[in-house]
Amino acid sequence: MTLGRYTELPHQADAKAGIEAVWASVSPGEGTYRVLPDGRCDIILRFILNAAPVAELTPIVTGPTIGFYDVPLEPGSGFVGVRLRPGHFQRILGLQPIHLKGGALVGEAALDKWPDLAALCAPASDPQELADRLVRFVRRRGADSDVEIAALSRNIISALHASGGRLRIAELANMHGVSERTARRLLLHATGLSPKAFAAIIQFHRALRLLRDHHLSPADAAFEAGFADQSHMTRVFRRMGGFSPARLPDVTLVTISR
Amino acid sequence: MGVRFGYTILYVPDVVATVSFYEAAFGLRRRFVHESDLYAEMETGQTALAFASETMAELNGFAIRANRKGDLAAGFEIALVCSAPHEAYHKAVAAGAAPVKPPEEKPWGQVVGYVRDLNGCLVELCSELPA
Repeated sequence: MTLGRYTELPHQADAKAGIEAVWASVSPGEGTYRVLPDGRCDIILRFILNAAPVAELTPIVTGPTIGFYDVPLEPGSGFVGVRLRPGHFQRILGLQPIHLKGGALVGEAALDKWPDLAALCAPASDPQELADRLVRFVRRRGADSDVEIAALSRNIISALHASGGRLRIAELANMHGVSERTARRLLLHATGLSPKAFAAIIQFHRALRLLRDHHLSPADAAFEAGFADQSHMTRVFRRMGGFSPARLPDVTLVTISR
Repeated sequence: MGVRFGYTILYVPDVVATVSFYEAAFGLRRRFVHESDLYAEMETGQTALAFASETMAELNGFAIRANRKGDLAAGFEIALVCSAPHEAYHKAVAAGAAPVKPPEEKPWGQVVGYVRDLNGCLVELCSELPA
């Protein structure tokens, strides 16, 4: 495992187990790391990488956010995390994501809630071992869980994702033959966010990819992503990312797709 | 510069369930299902009828309106030429296809009926065009 900035370990993603991505990141120097909202919850191990073994591990469980935030970095501090697919947070951790909206449980607070996280924090030979532990932790808790994710919930989230966040909740409800209230409740339950906030995150990520990976002009990206106009897209970028579409910083874009 | 029609891909919520449905309801056979369960092709000769997961649409960077039974059908149809369209129609409906229009003979001699598949896509069941 090569560590640098944020890296995903694609062979460890396991959609069926609810693992959208396993990721690692080590900061070479001081500074801050900007985390963009992705509508997801993560289980993270923070560590200081001086020499083997990897020690001083802190568990962190993060909830869904709707805006960016900056994480201060110390040289040699590292993170290994698993990002859970929508709906799986409660299945794995027994907590509805809405209870962690905009927040995180760090260290003791996380251990109080989930004592079995302690076993993940024993010294490890390298960060890969931490990734393996996290994956085993999620698989085991998933296998023991009696929470099932309803097909209806999966299909609604899939349709919203496939639309790039462009389908309104009323349409999603109609397409799936349920009331708007039911569709709203399912989404809130699975993600901890309102349908509007969750859709806005998907739309923001798609617009970022259209600009950065597809090399579209801001005007073309705004149109394809479904913004009313370019200035609408600019306002959303400032609010959710703290930057302008015209001058994209070297942001990290995580894989979110269900 | 040459060009030919390559294949048609339908984006669906569940690729494996869709393949099984097309086998049971329409009698097509699968050519292959990728081990990821995100893509599959039916045995349809030179131009494949393929199914891909909605996740693939997102990973490819485009946005789509998902096909759903409860939604208005999207503006396209898949036409399957059957040796016995009436029988094919009943078999499809018995397997869970939604009836739209039972087969009837057109003025040009072709028998044509319509159903919607498990995802709400429009499927035409017809006889060969008369020579």
